[in-house]
Amino acid sequence: MIKNNIWRAIINYFFILLIFLAILQFYFFYHLNLGWALLTSFIFALGLGWIFFKQVISPLKKINTVTKAISQGNLNQELPLYEQKEVSQLAQNINDLVRQQKKILAQITAEKNRMQTILNSMTEGVVALDNQGNVLLLNSAVENFLGVTREAYLGKNILNLIRNYDLERAVKQALKSERPITQEFQLIYPEPNFYYLKATPLKNQEQEKEGIVLLLRNITKEKKLDQMRTEFVANVSHELRTPLTSISGFLETLREGAIDDPAAAHRSLEIMSQETNRLAKLIDELLHLSKIEERRVVHRWQLVQLKEIINQVAVTFQPQAQQKSLTLTVEIPVELPSISGDPDLLAQVLTNLVDNSIKYTLPGGQVLIRATTYRDNVQVEVKDTGIGIPPEDLPRVFERFYRVEKARARELGGIGVGLAIVKHIIKAHGGSIKAESIPNQGSSFKVTLPAEVRSEM
Amino acid sequence: MRARSTFEQELTDLQQDILRLASLTEETIYRAVQFLLQQDAAGANQIISGDVLIDKLAQEIEDKCVKLIATQQPIAHDLRLSITSLKFLVSLERMADYAVDIARATLYIYGYPLNRQLMEYTSKMSRVVQQMIKEALDAYVNNDAQRAREMCSLDDEVDFISAKIFQEAIRAMREKTQPQIVIPAVYFLLISRYLERIADHATNIGEEVIFLITGEKRELN
Repeated sequence: MIKNNIWRAIINYFFILLIFLAILQFYFFYHLNLGWALLTSFIFALGLGWIFFKQVISPLKKINTVTKAISQGNLNQELPLYEQKEVSQLAQNINDLVRQQKKILAQITAEKNRMQTILNSMTEGVVALDNQGNVLLLNSAVENFLGVTREAYLGKNILNLIRNYDLERAVKQALKSERPITQEFQLIYPEPNFYYLKATPLKNQEQEKEGIVLLLRNITKEKKLDQMRTEFVANVSHELRTPLTSISGFLETLREGAIDDPAAAHRSLEIMSQETNRLAKLIDELLHLSKIEERRVVHRWQLVQLKEIINQVAVTFQPQAQQKSLTLTVEIPVELPSISGDPDLLAQVLTNLVDNSIKYTLPGGQVLIRATTYRDNVQVEVKDTGIGIPPEDLPRVFERFYRVEKARARELGGIGVGLAIVKHIIKAHGGSIKAESIPNQGSSFKVTLPAEVRSEM
Repeated sequence: MRARSTFEQELTDLQQDILRLASLTEETIYRAVQFLLQQDAAGANQIISGDVLIDKLAQEIEDKCVKLIATQQPIAHDLRLSITSLKFLVSLERMADYAVDIARATLYIYGYPLNRQLMEYTSKMSRVVQQMIKEALDAYVNNDAQRAREMCSLDDEVDFISAKIFQEAIRAMREKTQPQIVIPAVYFLLISRYLERIADHATNIGEEVIFLITGEKRELN
C-alpha cells in the first residue's frame, strides 16, 4: 500500500518533470533530446518522491499504526513531531486527543472506584437487579451477610443468591407495582439473622423500568433487644404481681371475717408483711440495678483490700453454708494487690455470687472463693459443685430477670437481678466477669478487676 | 430459533420455580424445628396452615413441567433437567409435609415437661439435616457435583444422632418416677424419624443433582 503510493508519486513526478523538460527543450533548443530528458526527470522524480516519502508518507504510516492501537484501547501512545507543518499539526492534535481521552478515562475510573469503595464501605447490603431479577451488582456487605463471592452470582437470578421466598416475592411485587417495598425477613444461612429489606424499582430518563435496587440491613441485634425488653417488662410485671396477688388475697380473707379470728388474722398479717417486704426488696433492687446501669454509683473510689472483703463475706455466709452442710473455703495468696473501687459494691458482688453458689449447690457440696493475681489484674473466682447451668442458658444468665428454671429460682427466693447487678458493678469498675459451667458438676464465676488503677468515672 | 429461545426461557423459569419452592421448604423445616424447640404453639399452627401454599406451588410447577415435556420434547441435558425437576418437586413437597408433621407433634407435646437431652439431640440433628438440604440446593444452584457427593456423608451423622435419640427416649420412658415424660418421648421418637426422612430426601436431591450434571446414576447412601 505504502510502496504503491511511493511509486505512484514518483511516476507522477516523473511525467510532470518529463513534460516540463520537453517543453523547456522545445522552447530554448528547438529540438528534443529524449534520453537526457528521461534520465533527468527520472533522477529528479526519485529525489522528490524520496522527500515526499520522508515528509508525508512515513509520518502518516506511523500515525496510522498509532491511531489503530488507540482505537483498540491502548492509550499509552505518543506521536513524535515532524518537520512537515500539516503532518506535525495532525500528530499534535492526535496527541492532544489521546491525552484528553486519558484524562477523562482516569476521571471515570476514579469515579467508578470511588462509587465501588462507597458501596463496599456500607454496612447495609446493596444488590442491584435487572428486570428479570438477575444480579447486576452487589457490595461487600452482601458478600459478608451471605458468605459468598460476588463473581459466582453476577448475572444469576436473585433466588440463586438469596434463597428466600419472602424476599423474592417482595422483589417481584416492587417490580410489578413500580413502588418501593419494605419488608422484614429472616435468612437461615449462614447464620439465622433478621434483615430489613427496602426494594426500590429504578427508572431511566424515558421512565422505563430499569431493574431494582435492594437495600439490606441486619436487624438481628435490634430484634434481640426488642425481645429482651418485652421479656423484661413481662418479667417485672410478673414479679410485682406475685406478692401483690398474695397480699390482696389475704386482705380479702381478713375482710371476709378472718379479722375476728385472732390466730387467722395474725397469720394473714404475717404473710402480708412478708410479701410487702419482698415487694419492697424487689423495688429496691430494681432501683439499685437501674442506678448501676446508669453508672452513677461508683462515687466512693478508694483503695480496697479485697482480702478483707472476701473474708468478711465468707464469715457472713458460713452459718448458711453449715446449715446446708456445704464446705465454704477461701483461698487467698499472701500478697494480693489492692484495687480501687467502692468496697460496699464489691462486697455486694461477692455476696451475690456466693449467695447463688450456696443456693444452687446440693447439700454436701463445696463452695470455693479463690483470689489470684493475673498480670496486672486481680481475679476472684467463686466456684461451686452445684447443679450447674446448661450451656444454652449460660450466655443469658447476666440478663435482668433471666432464670434458668423460673419455678425453682423463685422457690429459692431469687428475683433474677443478682447477676445483672454483679455484671454492672464489675463493668463500672473497669473489670470483666466470665461464667463457666458444666451441668450437674458445678459453675464458676471469674471476676477480673484491674489492680490499683484509678479509673476516671 | 424463536421457539428455541422460548424453550430456553421456559427451562430457566422452571429452575427458578424449583428454587422458589426449595426456599419455602427449607425455611418451613427450619421454622418448624425452631417452634418445636421454643414450644411455640402459635408458630406451629402457622406452619401447618402454610402447607397449603407449598402444595399449590408444587402443583403449579408440576403442571408447567409436564407441559414443557409434552410440547418441547427436550433431549439430553434438557430432558434430565425436566425429569429431575419433577423428582425435586416430589422430594421438596414431601419434606415440607414432614415439617408439618413436626409442627403437629409440637402441638401434641405442648405443655408437657420436656427432656432437655432429647431437645438437645433434636436440635443437633436438625442442624445437620438443614446443612444437608443447604448443601444439596447449593450444589444444584452452582452445578457442583462434587458438593452433592460430599453432602451425603452427613447422612451417617443423622443416623448416629437418631440412634442416640432412641436410646435416650427409651431410657426416659423406663424411669417410673416420671410417667408424664412418655408422651413427649414418643413424639420425639417420631420427630427424629421425620428428620431422618427429610435427610433421605435431601440425599435424593443430591443424587439427582449428580445425575443432572454428569448423567450418571449413583446411589449415595
